Amino acid sequence: MDSLKRDVPAEGACGYKCGYLPDCAPLATAWTPMQQENPPMYEGCEALTRGTLFPGLDLPFKNIINKSNPYAGTPLGELMALWFIIKELQLYLDTHKGDREALKALQETIALEREGHRRYVKLYGPLNITDVELADCYSWVDGPWPWEYDERTGKK
Amino acid sequence: MFSYVKSLQYPVKIANPNPALAKFIISQYGGPDGELAASLRYLSQRYSMPYPELRGLLTDIGVEELGHFEIVAAVIHQLTREMSMEEIKKSGFDTYFVDHTAGVYPQFASGTPWTAATIGVKGDAITDLTEDMGAEQKARTTYENILRLSDDPDVNNVMRFLREREIVHFQRFGEALRKTTEKLDQRNVYVMNPSFDK
Repeated sequence: MDSLKRDVPAEGACGYKCGYLPDCAPLATAWTPMQQENPPMYEGCEALTRGTLFPGLDLPFKNIINKSNPYAGTPLGELMALWFIIKELQLYLDTHKGDREALKALQETIALEREGHRRYVKLYGPLNITDVELADCYSWVDGPWPWEYDERTGKK
Repeated sequence: MFSYVKSLQYPVKIANPNPALAKFIISQYGGPDGELAASLRYLSQRYSMPYPELRGLLTDIGVEELGHFEIVAAVIHQLTREMSMEEIKKSGFDTYFVDHTAGVYPQFASGTPWTAATIGVKGDAITDLTEDMGAEQKARTTYENILRLSDDPDVNNVMRFLREREIVHFQRFGEALRKTTEKLDQRNVYVMNPSFDK
C-alpha cells in the first residue's frame, strides 16, 4: 500500500480537496472501505450455501438465509464447496495480494481439491476434458449434463 | 482460453416446473442487468484496465458471471420441463413459447432480445469500475424483486446465492476503484484518463 500513498498529505493535514475519510480519500469519487486482512471465514460447505466465504460480507435480503443446498453432503457437493472457496479467495486476493494467511488458505484448499477431484473422477467420470486420461471410454459426453434435472440428489 | 468444468457453480434442483416463474427469471439470463451482460461487460472492459491486478479482477469476476449465466439457464430449463399446453396458456408463457418453445433464449422479461446497449465499455478505469459497482447493485435489486415474486423454495435458494455474489463483487470493485484512485494524483484524480494517458 505504501506505493499507493504518494501525494497524500501527511496525517492530520488534509488538503482542501480531501475529506475526513481514512487515508484522506479524494472527494467526488466512490469510496469503499477495504475488507480487513485475515478476515473470518465460514467453514465447510457453509460458504457455498450462503454465497460468500466471509461473514463480514454476508448481508441477506430480509435476513432469510439458505440453510442448505441440494448437493450438500454429496461427493460433487463437496467439490463444489471447495471450488467456491477457491473462487472467493481468488477474488479476495486480487485486491489483497499481500495477505499471507489468505494465500495459505487458498493453497490448502487447492490441495484438498486435487485429492477430491482425483477420487471423484475415478468413481463418477470426468469433470474436465483432461480427466478423460483415466477413462476406459470417451465418457466426456455421457449425461446428465450439469443443468439437467436429476431426482437422484447429488448424482451429477 | 476458457475451459469447461462439467458442473454448475451452485446446484440447481427444482422439483416443480413452473413456467410463470421462468417468464420473469429469464431477465437475469439476457436482461438489462442479467448475467450475460455482466460477463461481457467485465470481460470486455479488462483490455483497457491500466494495472495488472485490475485486469485480473475483471477476468476472474467475468468468468464467474459466465458460470452464473449457466446457473440461470439451468433454472429456466428446469422450470419449463414437461409443460402441458394448458399450463403454457394459463401461465402466460405462451408469448415466449411461440418464438422459442422450451428453448432458453437471452432476453429481457419484457421480451426484448439481449442487447449490448445495456453495458458500457468506456475505456477509462474510474468510469468503468464505477459502472461495475452500479451494475452489481442493479443485479442485486433484480434478484430481490425475483425473491418478492417467487414462492418456490428451490428457486429462491439459487436466487439467494446469486444475489449474495452481487454484494461480494460490489465490494471487490469498490476496493479496485479505491486502489486505482490511490495511485493517481490526489489533488485531482481526474487530471487524466489512467487507461489512456501515460
